[in-house]
Amino acid sequence: MSAILDLVLGVVTSIGGFVEVGSISTSAQAGSEFGFQLLWAIAAATLMLAMFVEMSGRLAAVGKQTIAAAVRERFGIHYQVIPLVAELLIDVLLLTAEIGGVAIAVKLLTGIGFQWWIVPVGLSIWLILWFSGFAAVEHGIGLLGLVTLAFVASAWKLGPDASDVGKGFIPTMADHDMLRYAFLAVSIVGATVSPYLLNFYSSGTVEEKMTEDQLWVNRTTAYLGTGFGSIVAMGVLVTSAMVLQPRSIIVDSYEQAALMFIPAFGRWAVGLFAACLGIGCLGAALEITLNSGYLLGQVLGWQWGANKPRREEARFTAAFTFILLMALAIGLIGFDPLKLTMICVALTVVAMPFVVLPFLVLMNDKRYLKQHTSGPIGNGLLAALTITAALLAIVVVPLEILGG
Amino acid sequence: MRRLTIAVEVTALIFLVGCSRQDTRLERHKKKLESLGATTKVIADAWLSGDVSTTYARTALDRTFYLVEQERAKLASRPEMLQDTRGAALSENAEQLSRLIAAIIGDVGSADDQSARQRLASLPIVPHKQP
Repeated sequence: MSAILDLVLGVVTSIGGFVEVGSISTSAQAGSEFGFQLLWAIAAATLMLAMFVEMSGRLAAVGKQTIAAAVRERFGIHYQVIPLVAELLIDVLLLTAEIGGVAIAVKLLTGIGFQWWIVPVGLSIWLILWFSGFAAVEHGIGLLGLVTLAFVASAWKLGPDASDVGKGFIPTMADHDMLRYAFLAVSIVGATVSPYLLNFYSSGTVEEKMTEDQLWVNRTTAYLGTGFGSIVAMGVLVTSAMVLQPRSIIVDSYEQAALMFIPAFGRWAVGLFAACLGIGCLGAALEITLNSGYLLGQVLGWQWGANKPRREEARFTAAFTFILLMALAIGLIGFDPLKLTMICVALTVVAMPFVVLPFLVLMNDKRYLKQHTSGPIGNGLLAALTITAALLAIVVVPLEILGG
Repeated sequence: MRRLTIAVEVTALIFLVGCSRQDTRLERHKKKLESLGATTKVIADAWLSGDVSTTYARTALDRTFYLVEQERAKLASRPEMLQDTRGAALSENAEQLSRLIAAIIGDVGSADDQSARQRLASLPIVPHKQP
């Protein structure tokens, strides 16, 4: 009974926690510029994420190790420095973008500049993490995040043509702005398969003490949760494609993106969009902050865990506090939240091989996985997709940033 | 003679590539400005019909104004863009759009829906396709 409850809660929180600043920005831009044409990128990225999440949960349940701790043990600290630095850099930038997302959501409702909300949002994140355990953070925000189902409701209300939507799942070349199309495809992958998600999930599996005989719960949660969650991201893309593209509106700001809800929700549109953006970003910001503490704690061999009192884990608490302060400092220097998000998710793809490839090696190591090692097809496919996406990102990201 | 032919061909190629890059840039600026014109219309229409609050309308129009100014600055940063008649026309339209948005922000602030409606009818940059 407890396993079923865990499963339902896991799937529901995965749906509620799927959408954040990266997926809202990339999907809204993709829909407004290319209609349904990039739905395939969300589907492909979701499949990658589901496979990675399942693997990281399996490693934690069988090997009782998180990804960071196992990579450190298997490859040594000298190698671990590379993925650690890559992941921490991306975590800080992404955290800044998520805090910016929450601040923009409050700005949409109050009209007060988003820079004024950066510090209060940062303080709220720190206080939530100080007073809450892992389950409260993950499930509480995940349940609140169900408000993001508004994107699915909106797409449903707009009634898109099923065959047009279906065609979007077949990868095709763009008939215009090929570079931009490739950049958005790469960004969608980066927004969906964030490295922090993998270590956060494996840390959560260790914190919740999942055992080997609960692997089916892990597998079902990974595939159903991310699968249903991706429907929310697809809802963003479809709504944007149906509302903004016909009006020739290209999403350059969150204020423009909020307009996509007006045909479906009228007077509730802006409030609902702000709630989706704010809650989605707050959830992701909490997870990223916590993950930075996990990451440093696991690599450097400190006491870690969100379920123990913070006073007992001074270095873990200091680590996530420091990362949060760095993100706030970048936020206060001044930035365009949407631009930062887009650059950050694209850079994630460039850095992904450093984090993912050693993880795939671990998944074939019987010392950690016993008889539950991954098959060659899954591992090969993930390695090939990760490297291809990274190579594509290395080509298109500089071109896009430098203006083609 | 052969060297001269090659030199002429290379010059022609550079000229063509330069022109096509200029065309691409102009097309990008045009699309962005059309998008911002359409955004202004949608925000103002939504405010006039009561779908969005005055607070949101002002915030969103402020942001749109800022983005138009950014596009104008980008256009003006390349003299060759303004030498091109299409670029010059685009720059003038962008300036008009900026002024119009500023005026609409004033209308929204003073709740003057009549004036906002009139101004919307004279948007200088609107996309061809509108639902």
